[in-house]
Amino acid sequence: MFGWTGKILKVDLTSGAAHREDIPEDILLGSLGGRGLGVRLMRDFYGLDPFHPDMPLIFAVGPLCGTSSPTSARMSAVSRSPLTGTIYDSSCGGLFAHKLKAAGLDALMITGKSDRPAYLKVTGEESSVDDASSLWGLDTLDTMTALMEHGSVAAIGPAGENGVLFANIMVNAANSVGRGGLGAVMGAKNLKAVVVDGGAKTLIADEEVFKKGREDVMRLFKASPIIFGELGISEFGTPALVDLMKQRRMTPTANFSKTYFEAASDYAGPALKRTYQAKKEGCFGCPIRCKKVDSCGKALPEYESASHFGALNNNSDIHSIVKSNELCNALGMDTISMASTIAAYGEAKGRFFAPDEIIELVKKTALREGGGDDLALGSARVCAVLGVPQLSMSVKGLELPAYDPRGAYGMALAYATSNRGGCHLRAYPIANEILRKPVATDRFSFSGKARIIKIAEDTNAVADSLLTCKFAILAASLEEYAHILTGVTGVEYSAQSLLKIGERIVKEERRFNCDNGFSAKDDMLPKRFFTEAGTSGDGIEIPPIDESRFIEELKKYYKMRGLNANGCFEQ
Amino acid sequence: MRDQIEKYTDKLLKDGLAMPGSIRFYALDDELIVSKDDDWKPVFEAVLEELSVVGLLLAEPTLPFADNLIARSSDSDTRIYPKDSEVKTFLHDIPFIRRSALGEAGELAKAIATILRERKGLIIEGVGFVATGTVTLEQAYITYSSIFHATFIKYLLELLEHGWQLPGEQEALERFKNDWSQPYDVEKLAFRDGPLTARSEIIEEICAVGRYTVESGLVDSFFGNISLFDDGIIYISQTGASLDELEGLIDPVPMDNSSTYGITASSELPVHRRIYETSNYSTIVHGHPKFSVIMSMLCEKRAACEIADCGKDCPETRFINGVPIVSGEIGAGGIAKTVPPVVKEHGRALVYGHGLFCAGTNDFKDAFSGMVQVETLCRKRYFEMLAANL
Repeated sequence: MFGWTGKILKVDLTSGAAHREDIPEDILLGSLGGRGLGVRLMRDFYGLDPFHPDMPLIFAVGPLCGTSSPTSARMSAVSRSPLTGTIYDSSCGGLFAHKLKAAGLDALMITGKSDRPAYLKVTGEESSVDDASSLWGLDTLDTMTALMEHGSVAAIGPAGENGVLFANIMVNAANSVGRGGLGAVMGAKNLKAVVVDGGAKTLIADEEVFKKGREDVMRLFKASPIIFGELGISEFGTPALVDLMKQRRMTPTANFSKTYFEAASDYAGPALKRTYQAKKEGCFGCPIRCKKVDSCGKALPEYESASHFGALNNNSDIHSIVKSNELCNALGMDTISMASTIAAYGEAKGRFFAPDEIIELVKKTALREGGGDDLALGSARVCAVLGVPQLSMSVKGLELPAYDPRGAYGMALAYATSNRGGCHLRAYPIANEILRKPVATDRFSFSGKARIIKIAEDTNAVADSLLTCKFAILAASLEEYAHILTGVTGVEYSAQSLLKIGERIVKEERRFNCDNGFSAKDDMLPKRFFTEAGTSGDGIEIPPIDESRFIEELKKYYKMRGLNANGCFEQ
Repeated sequence: MRDQIEKYTDKLLKDGLAMPGSIRFYALDDELIVSKDDDWKPVFEAVLEELSVVGLLLAEPTLPFADNLIARSSDSDTRIYPKDSEVKTFLHDIPFIRRSALGEAGELAKAIATILRERKGLIIEGVGFVATGTVTLEQAYITYSSIFHATFIKYLLELLEHGWQLPGEQEALERFKNDWSQPYDVEKLAFRDGPLTARSEIIEEICAVGRYTVESGLVDSFFGNISLFDDGIIYISQTGASLDELEGLIDPVPMDNSSTYGITASSELPVHRRIYETSNYSTIVHGHPKFSVIMSMLCEKRAACEIADCGKDCPETRFINGVPIVSGEIGAGGIAKTVPPVVKEHGRALVYGHGLFCAGTNDFKDAFSGMVQVETLCRKRYFEMLAANL
């Protein structure tokens, strides 16, 4: 095949057995890869607990991986989230995706539970499950160092081993399979790491068509102020958004009780660049290089991490923000959920924590020591235990990222409809509501937003399945990527045919969730956003969201998706 | 949705892009909203069922240039390839359906949907332009405007190169020449005298000058950007902002990059910045006046030159009546290098296939007048060359 390898490696950790299978061509053509393929393979496992040994943990790449398609060397991990209970996928960059494809695989499906700490080694056609007892307890960096001679490593840290519900799988120092706790799923299988290597090449069907598509994408990247502009993410990383969100008065502050943090500039893109002599680094094969590292090569925080360890915790101390981020990466935890859980805990306790205390809480959470044992369950469970469930700023149990929904109503709707819980990336309406791409929309209006969110969800499902970066879609579109995909695979795709695939993926996810008891009651924002105003000023009013208008638009969304009033399917 | 339909119908008419009575919007909220219920409705209802978009626009352009391009093309052609860099970057190519291929409604809907699965817009010969919006109806308006812009430039270049080929073509162009040759009257426009230093005054003036560029017919509203430099701050229009609707869309960008909230500023910010860094100018107007774009693409050395992509790779600075012409791609690494040196020396620069930058020292009057002068000159030169060639 061109593009795809057509192969999946299935590994049962209980028995140690592994075998390669062909993936039916119609599944690959109809799901593309990554998230789409993973979700398709999860179809028969909806009733299982995330920590059940039979629950699969799937790593999948896309048809563009292994080519020079811009931003396409990414991987998705798919399973069921222990934090949210929803189906879950998360994508990340790093060399791992490239090496998995080079091992001749489109996907790796891991089931079972090893009777001792183990790591899975895949080298070309060979694979083995090896003892990792000596690695258990190590942080992600030390684990990678120990295994890197065998290939590219995806590993969990102590957080994953200890069942922190928002534990990450880390690839390289700072590429994370984040948010939903798939690191804990991996830990429950006693699987410390997966190491992959190989030398197979991805075959391209039509080099000329591919080259033209690639040139079109690169031209659009260069013309994009968000990507390659002087103030864009290539230059300052995603913390370029700190100043923008401050100016738009939608910085989640003090556990979302306010929307403006005067001191945000203290840890914004320019401050990080100046303080840490930030240098550019990028995911493997990415021309944008939005990741930033300090002069020693340590990863600096992304926008979400900086803002949530900062404003959300009433903290302007840049060093504690950088240290907390570094610890989360090393211990293998999601920064957004960690920072948000600490903020909710702080509000529940009547005070937000000091910089040093935040750092200590991060460590204790990963090790599940002291109060950290509660925090390891995420904000929804902690707040429920403390009798203040309303202080968890989450949807479906997933903590909300650093865009206050009172400042962007499409974002409000997208948080609610997201199949994996309170996530900004399922639809990323910040693109049109704030960044003006592909065109601007009125951020304080719900008008037309249901369809915008529906189309954006479908688009991003495609991006996650082709495994292109979401930032690429801020400049280019599916039109150009369809061209690239056609060139690589030799199969005729168009933007609209891709959107149909995206629509099916989102539908399949919702079906999985509905089968697990999710419904309209779960597509709801925390009450605070409907009852409390944000922080108005500078001529910008941040009122509470009109709940009835929100629900009206949510109902339109259901209708467009072919769902009933309860957000599910009739059959 | 209805307010968007009203707004962009009005803009298409005010910009002179669409024939009155020909504009049809088909917008999807949870139900279909149609601006004109006629024989086209079932066709576009069927098209919408095939696509995941928020809406469609169908309108007849005020000029026959796109139809003429199709009529002049060879039978096997199915697309028009724009020559200007802006449309080339964002639309790539423009597919068309020939008049002779128009079948019954169902077939036509299928043909339109097939094309729109791949591209944002198309031309139906003898009918008009069709454009989609995936986020808002504004996208449909922008795509329509881009097709108009691209076919205008390409057709007039074709005439220079290949002459009359169609019956009635010459007469149509004469009518166009008379309609489009009215002088721009700068004197009746009110400009604030500089230097401007109060933030509110600066922003008001930028908005006013933006409106002038569109209302005077110099540029279409969507293309272009405008800025003023004062006290270490560049006040510049945001990316994707229409020049005639800049209220609330001016980003104050610190020259020292101490803040990044200008991330939403125009993609041409690096060009503006370099000009301010290297010269004494304090205002810049950038737009895509059509005859300036056309004349920027005429090069007497073309036949003997080995460079394939002139807009990207030509290293030379050429001149038209003392106005420098340079090359370079949009955004980082391209025109940010080639434009500032020539603007520093000449106060203006034409960019191959792209548009015009004009700078002023104190206020916007000089910059705006510069744009008018260059476009007037280019229009005059174009018709002189056409007369000489034919």
